[in-house]
Amino acid sequence: MSVERLSPQTAATLLYQEALFLDERRWDDWLDLYLPTARYWVPAWRNEAETTSDPDREISLIYYESRAGLEDRIWRLKSGLSIASNPLRRTAHAVTNVLVTDASTPGEVEVKATFNVGVFDPRRKTSHAFFGRYLYRLQSTDEGWRIASKTIVLLNDQIPAVADVYML
Amino acid sequence: MLTPDDIAGLIDDRPEDGVFSVHRRLFTDPDVFELEMKAIFEGGWVFLGLASQLSRPNDYFTTTIGRHPIAVMRAADGTINAFINSCPHKGARICPLEQGHAKLHVCPYHSWSFDSAGKNRAIKGRVQGAYSDGFDQDSHDLNAVARFGDYKGLLFASLNADVGPLEDHLGEAKPLIDLIVDQSPDGIELVPGVVSFTYEANWKMQLENCSDQYHFSSVHPSYLRILERRTERAFEGATRNMWDVAKEHVEVPGEPTGGTYSFDQGHVMNWRMSDVPEALPLHERSAILEQRYGAAKRDWMLHSRNLTLFPNVQFAENASSQLRIIRPISVGLTEMRTYCFAPVGESGEARRKRIRQYEDFFNPSGLATPDDTVVYEACQEGNASQGSPWLQGYGRGMCASVKGPDRFADLIGLKPSSSVAADRWLSDETIFHAYYRAWRARVSAVAATQSAEAVS
Repeated sequence: MSVERLSPQTAATLLYQEALFLDERRWDDWLDLYLPTARYWVPAWRNEAETTSDPDREISLIYYESRAGLEDRIWRLKSGLSIASNPLRRTAHAVTNVLVTDASTPGEVEVKATFNVGVFDPRRKTSHAFFGRYLYRLQSTDEGWRIASKTIVLLNDQIPAVADVYML
Repeated sequence: MLTPDDIAGLIDDRPEDGVFSVHRRLFTDPDVFELEMKAIFEGGWVFLGLASQLSRPNDYFTTTIGRHPIAVMRAADGTINAFINSCPHKGARICPLEQGHAKLHVCPYHSWSFDSAGKNRAIKGRVQGAYSDGFDQDSHDLNAVARFGDYKGLLFASLNADVGPLEDHLGEAKPLIDLIVDQSPDGIELVPGVVSFTYEANWKMQLENCSDQYHFSSVHPSYLRILERRTERAFEGATRNMWDVAKEHVEVPGEPTGGTYSFDQGHVMNWRMSDVPEALPLHERSAILEQRYGAAKRDWMLHSRNLTLFPNVQFAENASSQLRIIRPISVGLTEMRTYCFAPVGESGEARRKRIRQYEDFFNPSGLATPDDTVVYEACQEGNASQGSPWLQGYGRGMCASVKGPDRFADLIGLKPSSSVAADRWLSDETIFHAYYRAWRARVSAVAATQSAEAVS
C-alpha cells in the first residue's frame, strides 16, 4: 500500500464525488468508494444535546459494521419491492466546510464536513432538508483513497416518514 | 357539530348480517378529529411512559396527552405523578427537556418555582406584590392530571376524573402486559436513543397497521428478500430474524400458528409463533423463564406479539422489541415516538442483537417501517375520495372469530372477549373491530354530552 499524504483539496473532491454518485444514483460507483470493511453509522440522539455513542448498547438510526449492510440497502433501492423507494426521492447533496482534522497516521486521514441534503418527494410534491455533519476516516489503497468509516450526525432527527442512505 | 347520530353513521357494525365497515371520513374529517381528541385522548386513560424512565427521585420526563403538554415527575419521596407542563402564572412550559432531573422547577418567565411533587415553593416578590385575598386562596401548584395510574411500571393518566380505575381499563389485557414486564425480574427498560418521526396521515392508520398481518408480505417483500439473501450469502455480522420464508412451504394450511385477541376496552393483540425462536434475544433466558413461570408462559413470551393498549401505545415484539407512542397532531398528521425496550439485565450479546434487529426493521431509516408509513400516506390520499365511502378492510376472519378465549389463550388463563386462531394466511381483520367499537362508545358519549349542552 502506498503511503501518501492527502491534500485537503483531494479529500474534498472525494467527498464531492460521493455526493454526486448518490445524487446521480450511480449506486455501484458509490459502493466502490467504501472498503469492504467500512463502518457506516448514523447515531440516534440520546437527548437534546448528545447523540448515542455506543452502537452495541444504544440505538442508532443506521449502523453497519461492514459494506455488506450498504449493499443490502442498494439492493433494496434497485429491487422495485420497496414502496418507500419507488419512486425514489430526488436529492441534491451540498457538502461544505471540508477539513482534514487528523493526518497523523500514514495512509489514513480523518475528515470532517458539513452536509445539507435537499430532498424532493415527487409523489407528494414536498421538499425537506436533512442537515448535519460527516466524519470520515479515509484510507489510501492501491486504487486510491477509499472510505474506511463514515459517521453521519443528523442534526434534525425529526424525520418525515423516510430517511435512507441516499438522502443523508 | 357532530351528533351521536353522525357518529353512529360512521361505523356500520351489524354482526347479525356479517357486516363491519368503517367510513373513510373517520380518517379525514377535522371535526371527527376534534371530537376524538376530546373523547379518547383527553377523556380517558392514555399511556405516558415507563417508571424506569424515572429511576431516581426528582427525575422527570415530558410527553403529551392529546394536545396537552405533560411532565411526569418522581417526587423526592419516590412517588410519581403527572402534571400539565405549564406554569399557572402565564402558561410557560416548566420542564424543558424530554428527560431531566430537578428538585426545583423554576419557570423561565417570572421565576415561580415548583418542587418535584408539583407544589408551588415560591412566587417571586409575593410579599411586595399587593395580591388580593382571592389570589392567596387559590392553589398555585402545578395542575396534576385528574387520574394517574401505574401498572407494573407502565404509567398512565387521564385528564378526565370520571373514568374507572386503571386496572379496569387494562382489564383482561393485563396478562399480556405481564408477558412483557416479566421477561426480567427487574422489568423492562428503554434502550438509550429515541427515534421520532412523522407521517402525513391519520393516527388510526398506525393503530391498525400494527395489528394488520395481511399487509406483511405485500409491504415488506424487500425486507423478506434481504433476509433470504443473507441466508444465501452469509456475511459476518449479518442480522437475522424470526422469519424464515422457507417455512411457509412446510406449514399446513388451516393449522393455527398464531391469531388475534380482542378486548372490550379496545385493546388488541395479534401474535404468531416464531419460525426461528433461537434468533430472538430473549431465547437466552428461555430456561430461566420456564423455571420461573412454566413452559406455557415462556412459550408465549417467545411468540411474536403486537399488543395495542388503546388508544396510544403499542408494544411490538416481532422483528425486535419496540415501544411506540402515537401522538395525533391533526387529522392528517401524526408523530410517532419510538423506543427499543428490553428486559433489564439481559446479556451484552443479546442486547447487541436486539439493537441490530431493531435498526434493521424499525426506524424511519430501517428496511421495513418506511414502507409502512408511506402506505399510510397513500391511504390518506386515497381516502380523500368519499364517493364510495365504506372501507372493505374489516371482513377477513369474520367467520373464524369466536367469543372468549381459544386453546392458546387458555394456556395462560387469558380471557379476551373474542379470539381468532389462524394459520399464516388467514390474516384476521376482525381485530380492528375492537378499536372501532371502543372508539364509537367513547366518541358517541362525548357527542351526546355536547349536543345536550348545545340544546340547554
